[in-house]
Amino acid sequence: MFKNYLKTAFRSISKNKSFTLINILGLALGLTTCLFIVFYVVDELSYDRYNINANRIFRVNEDLKLGDNSVQYAVAMPPLAKTLKAEYPYVEDAVRIKNAGATHVKKNNVNIIENRLAFADASLFNVFTLPMISGDPKTALNEPNSVVVTESTAKKYFNTINVLGKVIVFNDHENFKVTGVIKDIPNQSHFNFDFFLSMESFPDSRSNEWLRSDYNTYVLLRNKADSKKLEASFPNLLEKFSGDQMKSELKMSIKEFEKSGSYFRLNLMPLTDIHLKSTLTGELGANSSVQYVYIFSAIALFILLIACVNFMNLSTARSSNRAREVGVRKVLGSPRKYLIAQFLCESILLTFFATLIALLAAIILLPLFNQVSGKEIAITAQSLIWLTPLALAIILIIGSLAGSYPAFFLSAFQPIDVLKGKLATGFKGGMLRNFLVVFQFAISIFLIIGTLVIYNQLNYIQTKNLGYDRNQVLVVKNAFELKDEASVFKQSLTQLPGVVNATMTGFLPTSGWRNTRIYFKDANLSQKESMFPQSWEVDADYIPTLNMKIVAGRNFSKDISSDTSGIILNQAAAKFFGFKDPINKTIYQSKGGDSKGERNVNDYHIIGIVQDFNFNSLHEKIEPMVMTYGHNSGAVSIRVGTSKIPALLAQIKAKWKAVSPNVEMDYSFMDQDFDASYRSEQMIGTIFIIFTALAIIIACLGLFGLAAFAAEQRTKEIGIRKILGANIGAIIGMLSKDFIKLVLIAIVISSPLAWYLMHLWLQDFAYRINISWWVFAVAGLAATTVAVLTISFQSVKAALANPVKSLRSE
Amino acid sequence: MIKITNLEKFYRTEEVETIALNKLSMEVNTGEFVAIMGPSGCGKSTLLNILGMLDDPDEGSYVFNGVEIAHFNERKRADLRKHNIGFVFQSFNLIDELTVFENVELPLIYTGVSSSERVKRVEEVLDKMQIMHRRNHYPQQLSGGQQQRVAIARAVVNKPKLILADEPTGNLDSSNGNDVMELLTDLNEQGTTIIMVTHSEHDARYSHRIIRLLDGQTVMENIMV
Repeated sequence: MFKNYLKTAFRSISKNKSFTLINILGLALGLTTCLFIVFYVVDELSYDRYNINANRIFRVNEDLKLGDNSVQYAVAMPPLAKTLKAEYPYVEDAVRIKNAGATHVKKNNVNIIENRLAFADASLFNVFTLPMISGDPKTALNEPNSVVVTESTAKKYFNTINVLGKVIVFNDHENFKVTGVIKDIPNQSHFNFDFFLSMESFPDSRSNEWLRSDYNTYVLLRNKADSKKLEASFPNLLEKFSGDQMKSELKMSIKEFEKSGSYFRLNLMPLTDIHLKSTLTGELGANSSVQYVYIFSAIALFILLIACVNFMNLSTARSSNRAREVGVRKVLGSPRKYLIAQFLCESILLTFFATLIALLAAIILLPLFNQVSGKEIAITAQSLIWLTPLALAIILIIGSLAGSYPAFFLSAFQPIDVLKGKLATGFKGGMLRNFLVVFQFAISIFLIIGTLVIYNQLNYIQTKNLGYDRNQVLVVKNAFELKDEASVFKQSLTQLPGVVNATMTGFLPTSGWRNTRIYFKDANLSQKESMFPQSWEVDADYIPTLNMKIVAGRNFSKDISSDTSGIILNQAAAKFFGFKDPINKTIYQSKGGDSKGERNVNDYHIIGIVQDFNFNSLHEKIEPMVMTYGHNSGAVSIRVGTSKIPALLAQIKAKWKAVSPNVEMDYSFMDQDFDASYRSEQMIGTIFIIFTALAIIIACLGLFGLAAFAAEQRTKEIGIRKILGANIGAIIGMLSKDFIKLVLIAIVISSPLAWYLMHLWLQDFAYRINISWWVFAVAGLAATTVAVLTISFQSVKAALANPVKSLRSE
Repeated sequence: MIKITNLEKFYRTEEVETIALNKLSMEVNTGEFVAIMGPSGCGKSTLLNILGMLDDPDEGSYVFNGVEIAHFNERKRADLRKHNIGFVFQSFNLIDELTVFENVELPLIYTGVSSSERVKRVEEVLDKMQIMHRRNHYPQQLSGGQQQRVAIARAVVNKPKLILADEPTGNLDSSNGNDVMELLTDLNEQGTTIIMVTHSEHDARYSHRIIRLLDGQTVMENIMV
């Protein structure tokens, strides 16, 4: 019996080649897309799970609120790790990791800038699963000036992994001994370093300060220990250890501090949540968002649904062609369940082919997908372990799902009716089919609207006036290497033709340099009127170089010596303090309490107000920030006034060489840095476009098939109408009308939904576009046009056919 | 009204070439009622399709009302057709989705007749065919005889000069068949030219003249008295 099913299935499939092709291709396209999304989602969800103890590892985060400012840190106090381990028996171990930032590493007398270095406590290898190839994980990071490197770093610097005992020179003068080589850290890790330097080498790590947070701190709990219990004990712990320091620094107890509306609290975040749910201050690397996992999963499901719907639609549309077969089989005694089995068999067979094609396509296109998504996914023997059952599940589930409706629909035909030809009108009464077409197009239109909104928003980000001009600005990022020579370098640049202006400071809207300080409105340092703004040290050339605008007062000046205690506020800061006329007002800053308990206050007089500029991502509102006049050699930014950039760059490099022959100049353009910070949005935009295109192609494949069947079903009617004088236009109109109606309904359904969801997405941006009506018009028009084109191919064919042919078959 | 000369039509499949019409010539005058007879495959339907401008001949000339149309393109033929020719088929060929009224109205829509005029003319012709009471029914709800009357109503609603009937009684019992033939005779008496293909000698007797075809050629003409 099964053989008979398979035989009929094969013959039916090969008899209707175009139908089969449309069906398999549509499904394969949908499945390929889904596979990619599955790859993506699996990859996202697998972060940090390479750690054997992943479910027992937590990061200690800190929430700080000072007056009206609140910050969530991914970092905690320097002494916290060792205190937790000492105080709580159920804390098996704790480790601190401190990003070391850009560092010079010497290789054969050439300094290479490396960014992936961190200081780590010796307990690193107890907590995280970082398998050591050589060296002793228990002792490797015990001694000062020890370093553990990854396998590929060892190869990079020594061309071998047998590097134990060798010396690496950092920043030209710090000698570290290699005490271990670990395997490369998997990509699916929320931190990724090439060098782990022993924490003992970093004197600050011995600090006992409880009022600052700058160490990423992780705890490993014992088996079955309750993280909630640990979290609940944190307030007491802070009271016990930071209470005294609070008293001497801020002259108040923690209770009083909290009474004033401020607090600092600790909480635990599971290690496996970090990658998808954490975007705090002080992360060890950029994390992703669980939102995208949801969005992409939903899209995958939708695309799969569209593909399944095609399958159902085409199969039922074809039902009248198969009806005679069903009738004959029934007359010959086939029970209904055999017929159902037969049709399911057919659809599972089709799904099998589609899945094969999809798998093949996914493997071939994987590099392309990696390029678009910024992932490094590879299909290995290991992925086959979950891929094979997945493929089988797809074949069975999708096969039966897509085949179920046709199977039950067709097998329910009454043989007498079928043989008498009463079902010749198989295309009609397709309420469900109409519903499914509407559903497909609703999704497609939704995706078109989504794409348009995302692109509009990205375009808005690109073109928004940010309050500073990022174009034509060259940033020399490692000016700090020049130390005292930095000013000389900057000065020498201003003499170059083509350089309009230059400023020296690491604090840039597009750089990672940030510094928050507390300022008070009154000299008594009252918590109530405190502000926690970004506080940037800049020079007098900063505002003119970045084309910022002074809206009141003036810029810093080299010639006014009192400007060293001058301060420029942005509009948000001025508003925060509520000054009516802020110029010449004074604000205060604590220098930190000294041992005698005397208050040590710096005062700053406001000399100017700078127009608000976006120094954070456009996801966030412009926060208060202030500029002080000082010397910071973090970077040199150069406003370029020439189109001959390469020539100018060569001259700037020459100036650099003159002051620093041994170190390479590290530079970038500010607009590129800006774009880089929206890479994830760009990526989403690209992926959305691809998915939209796929969804539309799949939906149109289905529509194409349906239109063909509609035309086929109505051949006789078309013939009659033509004989009665209908022209080609009238026939095309008649055939297209029904489908266009469905597309119009889809527009009506999907537009409000799309508006709502995209509105939600935009809420993530403090600076965003309004979704305008033309987005919906364009999406609707696009969908209608594509649908009309698809249908008209079939309609024109039907309309041009000679009516004699269609009537001859009578 | 119609004059065809040396008309030829071939059908080709990959392997065989079939001659449907072989240098056929004939003439039909205005007001005539002509029956075409012959065994299956003699070319009757092909001839009717060409006469009805649904198909074009491969060779030969076809003059309709003094105009040579053998080489007219589809659009010109369609234009000529919809104003001059009405069709009646063996299997009625009514559109299932449309009511009796709408089926009959269709040719008027395609010739651009105004809506109020359409109602008037459709009602007039339905009345004449005595199926006015069925105007809002669908074809499936009618008997075969009624369906054919609707089809004839549709064929004449445009007041064509020529009616082509392809075995109009083939699907009907004798009583309904006679009714249909009476209808056609009436139409002919009112001036409409009728060319009818039939297998039935009985039906053929309603005509003025019988043309008998065999293998795509005229073999005999009988003038009825």
